[in-house]
Amino acid sequence: MADQTRVLLDDIDEPGLHTIEVYERLGGYQALRKALTTMEPDEIVAELQASGLRGRGGAGFSMGQKASFMPKGTMDKYLCCNADESEPGTFKDRLLMQKNPHRLIEGIVIAAVAAGANRAFIYIRGEYVLQADILNAAVAEARARGYVGANILGSGHDVDLVVHRGAGAYICGEETALLDSLEGKRGNPRLKPPFPANQGLFRGPTLINNVETLSNVPIVIAKGAEWFKQRGTEKSTGTKVVSVSGNVQRPGNYEIELGIPAREIVYGLAGGPPPGRKVKCWFPGGSSAPVLLEEDLDRPYSFESMAEAGSMLGSGAIIVVDDSVPIVSLALRVARFYRHESCGKCVPCREGTNWTVKMLERIDRGEATPMDIEILDQVQQNIMGNCLCVLGDSMAMPVRSMIAKFKDEFIAHNERAREAADRLAVGAGLSSEPVDAAA
Amino acid sequence: MPKPEPKLITFEIDGREVQAPEGMMLVDAARLGDVEIPFFCYEPKLGAPVGACRMCLVEIEGMPKLQTSCSTPVKDGMVVSTTSERVKQAQNAVVEFLLVNHPLDCPVCDKGGECPLQDISYGWGAGRSRFIEPKRHFEKPVALSPLIAIDRERCILCYRCVRFSQEIAEDYQLVFLERGDHTFVGTHDGHPYVAPFSGNIVELCPVGALTSQAYRFRARPWDIEDAGSICTLCPSQCNVKYTTRDDTRVLRVLARDNQGVDDGWLCDKGRFGYQAIHAPERVTQPLVRDGGALRPVSWERALSEAARALARAGGRSAAIVGGQATNEEGFLVQHLMREVLGSPHVDSRPSGVLDPAQARALARPDLTAAVPDIEWAGAVLVLDTELVDEMPILDLRVRKGVRRNGVRLVVATSRPSSLDPNARAVVRFTPGAGEAFLAALGAALGDGRGLDELAGRAGASPEAVRAAADALRDAGPVVVVWGERLSGGERGRQAVARLLDLARTLELAGTEGAGLLEVPRGTNARGLREVGCLPNLAPGLADAAAAGKSAGEIAAAVPEEISALLLVHADPLSSHPDRGAWERALDRAGSVIAFADFLTPGLEEHATVVFPSESEAEKDGTMTHPDGRVQRVRQAIARPPEVLPNWQVLAELCERIGKPAGVVSGPAVFERIVASVPFYEGLTLAELGGKGVRWQERDGAGRVPESTLPEGGLEEPPPLEAADLRLGTAPSLWSGPVVEHSPILRFLLADQRVELSVEDGERLGVSTGDEVAVTVGGASVRGVARLRSDVPPGSVFLVEGTQSENATALTNGRPRAVKVARAAREVTPA
Ligand SMILES: Cc1cc2nc3c(=O)[nH]c(=O)nc-3n(C[C@H](O)[C@H](O)[C@H](O)COP(=O)(O)O)c2cc1C
Ligand code: SF4
Ligand code: SF4
Ligand code: FES
Repeated sequence: MADQTRVLLDDIDEPGLHTIEVYERLGGYQALRKALTTMEPDEIVAELQASGLRGRGGAGFSMGQKASFMPKGTMDKYLCCNADESEPGTFKDRLLMQKNPHRLIEGIVIAAVAAGANRAFIYIRGEYVLQADILNAAVAEARARGYVGANILGSGHDVDLVVHRGAGAYICGEETALLDSLEGKRGNPRLKPPFPANQGLFRGPTLINNVETLSNVPIVIAKGAEWFKQRGTEKSTGTKVVSVSGNVQRPGNYEIELGIPAREIVYGLAGGPPPGRKVKCWFPGGSSAPVLLEEDLDRPYSFESMAEAGSMLGSGAIIVVDDSVPIVSLALRVARFYRHESCGKCVPCREGTNWTVKMLERIDRGEATPMDIEILDQVQQNIMGNCLCVLGDSMAMPVRSMIAKFKDEFIAHNERAREAADRLAVGAGLSSEPVDAAA
Repeated sequence: MPKPEPKLITFEIDGREVQAPEGMMLVDAARLGDVEIPFFCYEPKLGAPVGACRMCLVEIEGMPKLQTSCSTPVKDGMVVSTTSERVKQAQNAVVEFLLVNHPLDCPVCDKGGECPLQDISYGWGAGRSRFIEPKRHFEKPVALSPLIAIDRERCILCYRCVRFSQEIAEDYQLVFLERGDHTFVGTHDGHPYVAPFSGNIVELCPVGALTSQAYRFRARPWDIEDAGSICTLCPSQCNVKYTTRDDTRVLRVLARDNQGVDDGWLCDKGRFGYQAIHAPERVTQPLVRDGGALRPVSWERALSEAARALARAGGRSAAIVGGQATNEEGFLVQHLMREVLGSPHVDSRPSGVLDPAQARALARPDLTAAVPDIEWAGAVLVLDTELVDEMPILDLRVRKGVRRNGVRLVVATSRPSSLDPNARAVVRFTPGAGEAFLAALGAALGDGRGLDELAGRAGASPEAVRAAADALRDAGPVVVVWGERLSGGERGRQAVARLLDLARTLELAGTEGAGLLEVPRGTNARGLREVGCLPNLAPGLADAAAAGKSAGEIAAAVPEEISALLLVHADPLSSHPDRGAWERALDRAGSVIAFADFLTPGLEEHATVVFPSESEAEKDGTMTHPDGRVQRVRQAIARPPEVLPNWQVLAELCERIGKPAGVVSGPAVFERIVASVPFYEGLTLAELGGKGVRWQERDGAGRVPESTLPEGGLEEPPPLEAADLRLGTAPSLWSGPVVEHSPILRFLLADQRVELSVEDGERLGVSTGDEVAVTVGGASVRGVARLRSDVPPGSVFLVEGTQSENATALTNGRPRAVKVARAAREVTPA
């Protein structure tokens, strides 16, 4: 079995890590102390930028650079930790919050100070009840020790932190929908610009980062950017917690150094598909990433290499699909999810997702013509790039990749289903076709 | 926030160079180069773009993705394409997506023929349909409210209606429910969407999803015509388009966006009140009292009877002019009175005498704010008026200023205002104590001496007054929107003196964008004042040759000094204080000659001659907006056969009494007005055109008679007299003949309700819903009690102008201490 590179998950098995005593005993909150006592906010931002740390929530944007967009000034500024973790296949933030909530809190406070934010929120998906309870308890502990609240460690910096539970919508993980939801409104994405850094929560400047991104912050500050950059590739620094699921023998979260071959993760760590099965395709970054093929497993698992392969690293969730799965079922599964989760605000996503599902259902029933598969493909193209947020694309991209890579299977699937339906109909005496023609 | 001054830039679109103000959204800037970009959700009136429909995508050089032109400000040197293959593909795609779930029931859809979805599908769609799946279904149509039907299958979820409710009217009732392709527009809990401005969503809807219950299936676009005019139902004077059919019927009223007046919105009364025009109860023939009842007669008989009665009364005649009279009508009425009958008694103000010097000060161009100033002011003081009831469209302007430009709002009223939640400071003062409040505010803005004592006289909290002063101080230009109520009653003159003093303190006169804006009781109160319909003011705000009696004095002078009453669009029993005095006056007057479109109970009982009035859609003339904009009222449909123009009837009366007015047409009357009102100099009907002209912006403005603001020497406001409960009254948007006679609005008709504080309610053993009687000096008004936590203890509020149990029975221009007690439920005999 291949090795993990444990940085974030370093002490993850330490009993009681979620309590402040254990976390502090293992050196916790020292990064915060260092940041507050020896660094100016600008220096923290510079250090984060130098580390090359990229967002772990999906888009992979440089964390330090995003923090540097926050305007100066004395207005209320906000930091929102995106803990909505709803992308199918993604379950890494759950682990980080459940096992090591204080590392996240420490990261949030450091990032907030760096960005000049005095109010922070953790927007956690509604289903994560246990994790929300753990976080709330941890925040209370941190507040009692003076790591959260007014005048943190006597530094003059105030960071208030509130854990807010979502109400069960995938779209609320999209950063601007998250803000609307946090404001008590219907969670719909907003038009950008204005970007959250300029006008975010309650119209104030807002920095939004993923749980894993923020959990990396104390590490960067404690060990320094140089240390951090030693792992990973030039453009994908550090380690990544990868959630591996689907047809593998050992699904789970694995921390790896970015840039190792994907095969090492899928086969080495997760054990590959069950015996006798082959990888048919895999999603390298959650269900919204275009699927890649078996041969792509030899590519390095990094932001840049996945993009080069025509897909993306996204949230770092690998879903493995073996050759027992019909591609139409897979496409339907993905499309149904995004149709269900489309907020309905913009036209191409709202109508495109439901149209796609209806067409795929027809293909699945054998009621389509080859022209329908063309239309299906064009509908995906018509969605892509035309939506308000990327949820629409999140369906169109994988579905389109499946059509491109498995077109024959779509056609054959439809044919087979049609024949099966015809046979059934004839058997039941329902077909208008002459009986001998079906023989 | 000061109004930004944009600079011009040059950009390229579809190969042409176009100049546009920097920062204008591309979709608008394109139009300057005659390039049309299709859109659905974009509507700048609704605030920031939302980017929902994706119809407006364009390609911009240097940007990898297509951009929504509704949200992309144009920049110098930008190169834009709206016709590239990529853009066309996106446009085709969006149209196709929009039609995926659209029922395409155009043949039975009200919107058909004037539908942006049809037009854009035709213009930018691929012209074919590839969607063969089952469509989404909803029950259709259902009543969103008694006024509006919603067909959710047709809805394209463009956000317009919801944004209107959330961000313009701020009634927060309309929301989206569910999500994805199941999303639909509705209200929380499915209760009806009833709100003062709800009808605007029908006009905003780009498809036939929202339709007017009153207009549904009444016509198709090729059956109808548009006729521009103004709404005459309140002083907002919103610009409207009447949709007419066969030149005889008004089928619909739409907004005719005038930034200077209405910003493109209408209230539901203005939008749906047209039904009264065609109500069977309308007076459409001359009537004369005969054997105790009013009976239809020939014009000849009505005219001769009226002329004879007026001639007989001569100087013992008096005229009450209602706010719906046009400038032309008002001018001729005062001419008839003063020049023909030799009577100085003409009044158009229900609330008492206005001092001539003060009237001139209030008319000073440098002291008058224009409506759009509200939006860009530093601070707005809403004083003694409830805008949503008295000048509804200004309510939306104030909200817009606060929401978009951070205007500091101060609300100072007796009755809780619907604008309170938007205000930086809220002051409650005792009904009728506006003068004392202004004195206290003056003290707070000055050195603070005497503030506590003065606030006490106003029944207001000194802290609240101080907060108001803080919000107004150093705010930049201040606009004071004040209600006529402030200037009414016994101490009206002193209150106006305080108002002018405030204007001086806040330097309204010297400040661009600052000023006073009166919210009068009558639609055309300002115009009527300026053309001479006040007892002490001749046309042009000049001193009248002989001072006449005010409305209240007229009532008191019947029958000793006055024997004939001319009521022009007025029934003092419903609009004037001291109903008892007016009942006696009408009872005793020898003749009561009325111009009316409906027989109110007062006219029914007392009028001796009734001339049928033109409805607002049948007349030509002018009115003057409270901010000085002279606007045209234009005839949209033919008059009923027996209705004559009012100006013509008035001219005929002059002629019959022996002194012809010398006018042969409506426009001729306007010319006479322009000749008599120096500051209207140079105005022509052609120039007024569709949008009107503020006379302050014309050369004649310099010809307002001189007046100075008072310097000190102000009287002390009187102390509050001890009282258990003090009476305040307020009109309701939903009272009056238009609401009574428009079937679709009748469900909104205001009944008398008695608003009390919770404390007083408990003390008196009265709960919400109880029938109570409010009594003073032997008169009593019954109504249903409503306990409100925001009503200050010690005040009780009644509605003015209700059909029955009108609050005017209890008012007399002085503070009134009333008693409230539970009334036994009266059994009304069937
Ligand atoms: C539909 C949609 C759902 C998303 N859901 C999540 C999520 O659950 N968690 C998350 O961290 N980011 C999510 N994102 C990405 C966020 O918008 C945002 O890019 C991210 O939180 C930024 O944090 P990062 O820079 O640390 O990655 C989602 C984006 C979209 C379009
Ligand atoms: S792409 Fe989908 S989820 Fe995103 S705004 Fe549009 S409808 Fe909503
Ligand atoms: S009802 Fe009309 S205005 Fe409202 S969202 Fe639907 S289409 Fe838009
Ligand atoms: S008009 Fe631009 S997105 Fe709707």
